[in-house]
Parts: sequence; structure tokens; C-alpha cells
Amino acid sequence: MEQQLDVLVDRVVAELQKKLAEMGKQTPVQAEPALVMQESEDLIDTAEAEPERTAHVPHPKWEAGLQELLESTPARIGVWRTGVRPLTRTMLQLRRDHAAAVDAVYGEVDQALLDEFSLFTVETQYDNTENYLKRPDMGRILNEEGVRLLQERCQMRPQVQIVVSDGLSASAIDANLRDVLPSLLDSLQSYGLSCGTPFFVKGGRVASMDHIGELLEPEVLVLLIGERPGLVTAHSMSAYMCYRPRKGIVESERTVISNIHAKGTSPIEAGAHIGTILSKMLEQKASGVKLVL
Amino acid sequence: MEEQWIKSVGIDVGTSTTKMIVSRLRLGRMSSTFSLPRFQIVERQLLYASPVYTTPLIGFDEIDAERIGAILKDEYQKAGISLSEIKSGAVIITGETASKKNAQHIVHLLAERSGDFVVATAGADLEGVLAGKGAGAQKRSQAIAGNVVNVDIGGGTANAVFFYRGKAIATVTFHVGGRLIRLDERGAVSYVSPNITSWLTAKGLSVRAGETATYAQLQEIALQMSRSMLDYLSGRERQISGLLVSGQQMQEVIPVEEFSISGGVGALMHADPVRDLTEVSRYGDFGPMLGQMLQQVRERETYPFRWIEPEQTVRATVIGAGMQSTEISGSTVHIKPELLPIKNLPILKLELAREEWENPVRLHQEATSVYELGLRLFGSSTAIPFALALSGIGYCSYALLQRIAQELADAYKRYFSESKTMVVICETDMAKALGQALFLRCKGAPEIICIDQVRVEYGDYIDLGEPISGTIIPVVVKTLAFDERA
Repeated sequence: MEQQLDVLVDRVVAELQKKLAEMGKQTPVQAEPALVMQESEDLIDTAEAEPERTAHVPHPKWEAGLQELLESTPARIGVWRTGVRPLTRTMLQLRRDHAAAVDAVYGEVDQALLDEFSLFTVETQYDNTENYLKRPDMGRILNEEGVRLLQERCQMRPQVQIVVSDGLSASAIDANLRDVLPSLLDSLQSYGLSCGTPFFVKGGRVASMDHIGELLEPEVLVLLIGERPGLVTAHSMSAYMCYRPRKGIVESERTVISNIHAKGTSPIEAGAHIGTILSKMLEQKASGVKLVL
Repeated sequence: MEEQWIKSVGIDVGTSTTKMIVSRLRLGRMSSTFSLPRFQIVERQLLYASPVYTTPLIGFDEIDAERIGAILKDEYQKAGISLSEIKSGAVIITGETASKKNAQHIVHLLAERSGDFVVATAGADLEGVLAGKGAGAQKRSQAIAGNVVNVDIGGGTANAVFFYRGKAIATVTFHVGGRLIRLDERGAVSYVSPNITSWLTAKGLSVRAGETATYAQLQEIALQMSRSMLDYLSGRERQISGLLVSGQQMQEVIPVEEFSISGGVGALMHADPVRDLTEVSRYGDFGPMLGQMLQQVRERETYPFRWIEPEQTVRATVIGAGMQSTEISGSTVHIKPELLPIKNLPILKLELAREEWENPVRLHQEATSVYELGLRLFGSSTAIPFALALSGIGYCSYALLQRIAQELADAYKRYFSESKTMVVICETDMAKALGQALFLRCKGAPEIICIDQVRVEYGDYIDLGEPISGTIIPVVVKTLAFDERA
């Protein structure tokens, strides 16, 4: 019975396809030749590094207006369509962005960059990336080697402790550290604040600052950490700040500046502003919701 | 700080009338708590509007500063505000009054008596823009996404502004106004402004001080004047009508979708018709006739635009000055509060393409030449010679920031070694980073004021107010951008 049905369906489909093909010959589809052209261009274009964000609407009624809308949001708008589906160009872009996000999670921070700022590396108990993703708790505690390294190499009880971590996006650190960190250091200098020994935490989570706080007892700590990558950008970084970080601190006691990347919060301006926030934390002896900015 | 109100005052001393308003502006935080702070003016409320006073004069062409001061004192009392509450605002000395001999004196007097706020002495361009904003033309151009023109016609001049989608794109000023011809109830003409003589001749019209004018004669002059102004604005004819233009002529014809007339004469368009010379001369000039003829042209003649009612007529300029003149800078800035306010800084612009900023040789050349220009124009003294506006940088890396800061600091110290303060205005959000980079290089000699996210053009003047909550700077940009003479 089932087999018969399958055969029947196959036959009907074959028949339909034949008919459709004939119809296609009789009335050549006039639908938007521009579209067809665009599709073929797509295949070449997508190889570029950072494609300009342009709308693909073939004949917009108000081109300037569309361009303004496009500039007002990083969302994928004006992408046009083919039938009810997105264009190949749009699909490839989406998959490319998704791949970049995956790469950001699985990637590693460039060692040359860490050397440039003389950052030595300590690890959390994350073990490997798969485990890091499944066990956030293990990314919050340094491993024994890490603890030993900090005790050996770091200045104890500094006024300001700077920590850098890959978090969920190594590429965020690669993309932004060169702009944020020196700007932050300049800011500390102009406020006359002193800074401890900065270092890099591999496989870190935000709350790793609590464990580090226990170990080094800084007055304030700032953690520059890669954010969970999204489809808009995979290079976004956050700065989490805390007054006297320690075990058991609650999330509301952390202050954060997020979305730091070339097209979001300006990295140099963020660096300068982090210095202002840290100096206010020291003044008010508070952070998070208790801090008045 | 999540939000705050600031008080702003507008004062308009015109050729024929003087008025003031008090408004309050709400600053609201536009960014989330996870971003850098960014504040904007999110609401503007009118708190108090004074009656319309006749501008007190001594003799024929001198403003009575003392009496204006007295009016203001009285009005502040009625409005129930003290001078110290006022954080921003503008004084506009309009029309022909501005060229009267004691205008400068008045400005200083008003600055003292109206609070230590930001003071603007308007050129006709700024006045037209502010009146257009006060009349609601700017908002309207946004709503219809097109071109809207407002002409504010007062006693001495008519200031026209063209708005396209919220942006002022052109201004033009006419010698069109009520008090250009003054007369008594018998039609005896006591004054005809010399500014309209050539136009009158070209039109074959005549009216002179000492003569007695007839109703029909004044009607014809008012009618022709209305037509000339509209011909000019619509681009229909500019040879003869151009004689009425004060200052810069318009270079191009901009298609106009909607058109409104504000100002005292705008209000008179809706007054009862004047039937005889007694009614025409009720203010001692031919303003009522001008209003009536404009209304007649509106009703009977076809110009290629829609006429709309302005939101404000006689108070359009003062409301624009009080409520619309103030902007605020980005909220991450580098300032020294005790150096503010700073008034009347001319703008010099360093506008380079992205690649030029990145090119050290080019950057050095351009920075040098802009400072040389500054030195030629403003000289070297202990004062602040100008505000340097940076444009076109786009994304700024730390390395580029250092190069820019180094060039600017070096060149400034070389050319303006005596100046105690350096003012820089950035287009994009980078003022705090650049300010601190400059500070680390200059170490207080000179002091650095660096603000951002304010759009200025070469030829503008800028006033920086006292900071609100530490970092928010009220700014008044006095634009002269449409005026090539500046």
C-alpha cells in the first residue's frame, strides 16, 4: 500500500516537473533581469574581506533614505529576496559571519600581541574549549600553576589591577587590545593612579576576577574580556570592573562597559573612560549599582 | 545621573519689538548603562513668554540699553527665576538693530544682566535659522521629508531659511520689513530706509521722507515688495528682486515644497484689513499694509509651493533663540571646568580624508598649514585664538591618535606659545582619548579642552557653557556657514 503511494507521488511530481519545464519554455520568465545578474556577481564578491554594507533592493524608491536606514542599524536590512528566500549573497554572508563567530570561540589570542604588552599567561581550570563551554564554573578558578604564577610574578595589593582574558572571543582581544589597553594606561597616568602587574588569563570567565581578587587583593580590578560573539560582530570586547573583588561578590557589584569594537563603543574612548570609572570607584569605594557615575 | 532639566533663556531685541522667553530643556541619557554615557536634549518646554515690548530707543537709531535692562529685570521677576539658574540661551539682536551703533554695548550689558549664560550676537543667518526653528519649519521639513522655507519678517529685515529634512541648507536676508517706511496717520512719511532705494527706482516706484504718501501708493509698494521677495525665493525672477537682498545672494534655485511667514509682519497677515491711512499707520509704519499684501498674494497668486501656518509668528525668533539654540556635546570629554564658559570662539577646520589622516607627512603638512592660517587670521596672544575642529578621521586607532595628538600639540606650542588654552572639537566620539593624549603631552601648558559630537563648519563661532553634572557641555553654534563674507 505504502509503496504504491510512493510510486504515485513520484509519478505526479515527475509529471509536474515536466509541465513546469514546458511552461518555462513557452513564457520565458521576465522577472527582474537585474536580480539574475546580481546572483552571478554574488559568487565572486563574497570572497572579499569586509564587504561594504549595501542594500540589494534593485530599484529603491528613495535611495538616500534606504542608505540612512542602513547606516542606523547593524541589522541585516534591505537584503532583498529571490522568491520567498534570501539571495545567495545574503545567505553566504550570514554563514560567513556565523563561521567567524565559531572561529572566535575556538581561536587563540595572538602570542605576539601578548608579548607586545608583556602579558604572561595563566590558565583557568577550563582544560579545553569543549569543556570550557560546558563548565562555566571551571573558567572562574585559576589552576594551581596559575595561582603559583600570580603569587610569584604579580605585585600584591595594587591600586589598579588590569587583567586580559580571551573569554568567548579570542579575536575580540586581537582586534581591540592594541587600542583599548594603551588608552586605559594613559588615562590611569593622567589620573595619577598606579597599576599592578597585568597578565592574560586563558579560558577565563567574568567571575575569574573574584578568584584573582582573593589572590592579589587589588583595590579595583578591570577585566578586559572577549564577549560571546554574535552575527553582527565576532570582535566585541567588554570591560568588567569591580571594587575589591573577592569570592562571593554579587553580579550587581560589577560595572561593565560592553560592545567595545570598531563599529560599537569606540575602543580608544572606552579605554579613556574606563580610567574615569576606576578613579570614581576608588573615590566612592564602590562599584556596580552602588557606584554613582 | 539619568536626567536633568536646564533653564534656557531667549532674548530678542528687534528693530521694532523686544521680547524674552524662559524655557527648560530636558537632558536624557540616550545610551544604556553598559555603554559610554551619551546625553541629548530630549524635550524642550516653554515656561514663560513676556509680552511684546516696543524696543526702547534714544533718538532715532540708538537702543536704550538701560531701559532694556529694566524690562528684563522686571520680566525675570515675573517669570520667577534668578539669573544663577540659567545655564544656556541666546540673546539675538536682530534686523537693522544689529547695525545700530550701540549693539555691541547692549550685548555686553545683557550678558551681565541676564545671567552668566551663553550669549550669541546673531548675524542675519543665525537669526533666520533660529526663527525657522521657532516657527516649526525645521520640524515640518522632517515630517514631510522635503524642503520647507520660513521667512521671518520683522521691522527691519526678512530672514529666510531653507530646511531640507531637518537641516538648514540655505539662508537669505531681505530688506523687507514694516519699519522700512515710517509714516503718521495722515500719510506724512518720516523715514524711508536707504536700503530699498535702488529697488524702488528699478521698480519705478517712489516714496520719500517729507512727502505725503497715499493709500494706493503704499499698497502698490507693499504688493510689489511681497511679490519681489516671493519671486526671489521661488527663483522666478532675481534681477530686480535681488536688489532687496542684504548680503550674499543665493547661488541656486532650491525647489520649495512648503512655505510659511513668521515674525511681526507674519502675524499681521491675519489682522483685520486696513482700510485707510489711519489704520495703515497704527504702528507708525507700513507694516500692516505689508502683512495685508502678503495675505493677498497668498490668496490670489500662484507660487509653486504650499503655504502653511507657522507655529509661532511674532515670537518665532525669541522662541528659537531660547529653546533651539542650545546643543550638547558628547558626554565623554576632556575639560577643565574652571575654564568654562568660553564664548565666541571662531572655528578652524582640519578636514582630511581618511588616507590623509593616516599619512604622517600629509598630516604634518596639513596641521602646520591650518595653524599658520590660524596665526594669520587671529594672531598670537594669551587668549584662545580659535577652536580647531577635526573632521573625516573615521575609526581612530591608538597609534593614529598618538600621531594626531603629537602633531597638534607640537604645532600649537610652536605657533601659539603664549596661549594658555587649546580647544579641539572632534566629529566622532574620541574627545576624552584625544584630550588625555594632548594633556599628557602639554601638561597644562596649554590646558586642553576637547569635546566631540558637535557639527561645526569653517566660519562658525561657538560658545561653550558651564558643564552640567561635570561632563555635559551646553554648546551654541553660531553658524555663518551660508555667508561667504565671513
